Amino acid sequence: MAVDIEALKAAIFDLVASTHGKKNLKPMDITKDMIARFGEDNCGKIDVKRALRELIDAGTLTYMYAGGSYITLPEPRSEAVDEG
Amino acid sequence: MTEFQRQTDIGPPHYERFLPPIVKKNYGAWDHHELLRPGVMVHVAASGDRLYTVRVGTPRLLAVTTIRQFADLADAYCDGYLRWTSRNNVEFLLTDPAKIDPLIRDVQALGYPVGGTGNQISSIVHTQGWVHCHSSASDASGVVKSVMDRLFPYFTGSKSLPSKLRVAYACCLNMCGAVHCSDIAILGVHTKAPVISHSDLPKMCEIPTLIASCPTGAIRPATVNGKPSVEIEAGQCMYCGNCYTVCPACRINNPESDGLSIWVGGKVSNARTTPQFSKLVVPFMPNNPPRWPEVVDAVERIVTIYAGNARKHERMGEWINRIGWPRFFKLTGFEFTKYHIDDFRHAGETYNRTAQLRHERGS
Amino acid sequence: MTKERKTPLLDELEQGPWPSFVTEIKKEADRPMAHDLLGILERSYADRVSHWKHGGLVGVMGYGGGVIGRYSDLPEEFPAVKEFHTFRVNQPSAWFYTSDALRTLCDIWEKHGSGLTNMHGSTGDIIFLGSSSAALEPCFAELSHHGWDLGGSGSNMRTPSCCVGPARCEWACYDTLAACYDITQAFQDELHRPFFPYKYKFKFAGCPNDCVASIARSDCSIIGTWRDDIQVDQAKVGEYARSGTDIQSEVCNLCPTRCMSWDGRELAIDNSNCVRCMHCINVLAKALKPGKQRGATILVGSKAPIIGGALLSSVLVPFLEMKPPYDDLKELTAAIWELWGEHGKNRERVGEFIQRVGLGNFLDGIGLDPVPEMVMHPRTNPYIFFEDELDDDAGNA
Repeated sequence: MAVDIEALKAAIFDLVASTHGKKNLKPMDITKDMIARFGEDNCGKIDVKRALRELIDAGTLTYMYAGGSYITLPEPRSEAVDEG
Repeated sequence: MTEFQRQTDIGPPHYERFLPPIVKKNYGAWDHHELLRPGVMVHVAASGDRLYTVRVGTPRLLAVTTIRQFADLADAYCDGYLRWTSRNNVEFLLTDPAKIDPLIRDVQALGYPVGGTGNQISSIVHTQGWVHCHSSASDASGVVKSVMDRLFPYFTGSKSLPSKLRVAYACCLNMCGAVHCSDIAILGVHTKAPVISHSDLPKMCEIPTLIASCPTGAIRPATVNGKPSVEIEAGQCMYCGNCYTVCPACRINNPESDGLSIWVGGKVSNARTTPQFSKLVVPFMPNNPPRWPEVVDAVERIVTIYAGNARKHERMGEWINRIGWPRFFKLTGFEFTKYHIDDFRHAGETYNRTAQLRHERGS
Repeated sequence: MTKERKTPLLDELEQGPWPSFVTEIKKEADRPMAHDLLGILERSYADRVSHWKHGGLVGVMGYGGGVIGRYSDLPEEFPAVKEFHTFRVNQPSAWFYTSDALRTLCDIWEKHGSGLTNMHGSTGDIIFLGSSSAALEPCFAELSHHGWDLGGSGSNMRTPSCCVGPARCEWACYDTLAACYDITQAFQDELHRPFFPYKYKFKFAGCPNDCVASIARSDCSIIGTWRDDIQVDQAKVGEYARSGTDIQSEVCNLCPTRCMSWDGRELAIDNSNCVRCMHCINVLAKALKPGKQRGATILVGSKAPIIGGALLSSVLVPFLEMKPPYDDLKELTAAIWELWGEHGKNRERVGEFIQRVGLGNFLDGIGLDPVPEMVMHPRTNPYIFFEDELDDDAGNA
């Protein structure tokens, strides 16, 4: 049975929030984690892509760049690269 | 204030909107082209229509004021149509040959030169440098300006070359613009390992990603002042700056040890010989702004000797392959050092595995 | 409103015949951003070091690409360029413009940013240099309102670009402008929303002269070529000979396979041995033309040195017809993205991925049969990993 999109979005958000500041996640890292979590039969790459897009369009998550593109929490800071 | 309709995923505007009528009419039906004089071409269609192109050099960094001036010239002479080339030249597209000279007068009055066609040196493709880049080992626009001032006669056609000569500039090994297949490449290099800010690193960077970023495995985890950080094995560092791009706390920029290198003999065209990488000629020259005279002299020396020695149609790399690298170093006077011998992956493939050598008679 | 800056080092670069980027910046220096850019750049010239920092969370809502975050490390001294982000605006195919379109872009950029541009960036985009974080959304809204969208940056498909092609070149072996536009539109999601291990670039070159350097600068190089015979107008070859072109030394002797001969009256070509290098056609432009059965060679994997060394693209499909809707190219691309997307390491370009897993395994993974055109020569070492050594990906083709 296909995973519920809201459940998938919640799981993605929890994953990003739980690794925040410890590990940068690429979209494919999240995809692999979600497929493992919900099972190949219930969750495909397309589902995760759609859920990610909804989360990002809503501003719940955002992209960041650090030598590559990652997905992170949209913290209200003017500079990500230098807080020192 | 006007509200604008925000849209996403619309892609670029369709190119047909911007094609001159003569191009639309003869699209895919061009017969041949000729160089009328330096910087001026005519393309002749099967229909007999003739499209004249005037090629104009720019510094790539353009003010909107300048773009508006180009737009005004396009209105005055080209029914409002113009294009840019892959090497940052502007091309004005005319149907009336009588307008070529007045256009050239106007464009030169604005301070932009006409040339860069055929076997002339075209504009130097280049990167951002100190104008806009974090990892640059030198400026880009300033070096390019200084070199082009010296090579100017080769752009305008008052001096000629045996074949095309493509010069490219990149301000670090990231090579935005991939200069590694150019007849002459000028490349900014760092020569010292990054300096780590151990106080900033834990909050700015993710350590596993940082360690994985190093192509030679020179970065290792370490605890510094009780906090997680990394250390760099300086002897293993090849100064690529990859770690700095991943982690801004690994600062690689250094005014004393950053500088420029020069590479020659690359090409991308398949004509005659296959595409080739550029090869090292000068491993390091110091940063000497605002005019980088050592670099300008070196480039001019290479161009002059190539121009005087290569055969017609022979690109830089083809000429060097014919005469051999020992003779190239002898003619140009650059020193061959151990730095010229590759020691990265597959280095052995560049060793000379033959007794076919050119020798000079002893005295 | 702003006092003129003292920039003695940069002023040196206003001397000499080549147009000066310093003059360009000064043209906009009545506005604070360009004014402070002159200041910080003069400082770099004195210090011999860059004063920019990179990265971060900047972008427009919903997109992961198109904006490059840039910050100054001297924010107090040069407050107007404290934030100095780059917009990449997707250029039209082959960089054709009308004056009106350019003026619209200038109006938008003058209103929201520094008024300074690059025409164009290395990948091909129109570059707007220097936007504050606050200006990003309004600038994007106005750009897209007028029909312009952003290009790529980060780990996504980068903005495809193409040569002038059939718009003005007799050698174009396929419609580079149409193919570039079609692929750009077909993969908008991949352009704006990073989903790859690293960047992926397309460049469309109409013939093997490769004026967009696709073989050196793109993960997927699409280089026009032909399958049948070079078209020859013998009378016009004779005209070249009579007007001073030495056909033997300038054409026949420089042919890479020596497949041409000239007896003073007729140019004979052994087309079965022609490698489509373009030299003879370049020299005898009025007399020789590419054949009529036209298409493209698809090569993959070129890149600059970071990380594992520079690569040139290598052959994947020797000949592909390039007709809309370009389904073969799209299917091939989807297969590559699927495999590399899943197994590629962080910041590993597809060329490096192929080097790591081996071209043979890569072909198995994307479902393509090996052909001898893919290599310069067969392997010379006997360390063959026979079938039972291959992982499960192999053999599915």
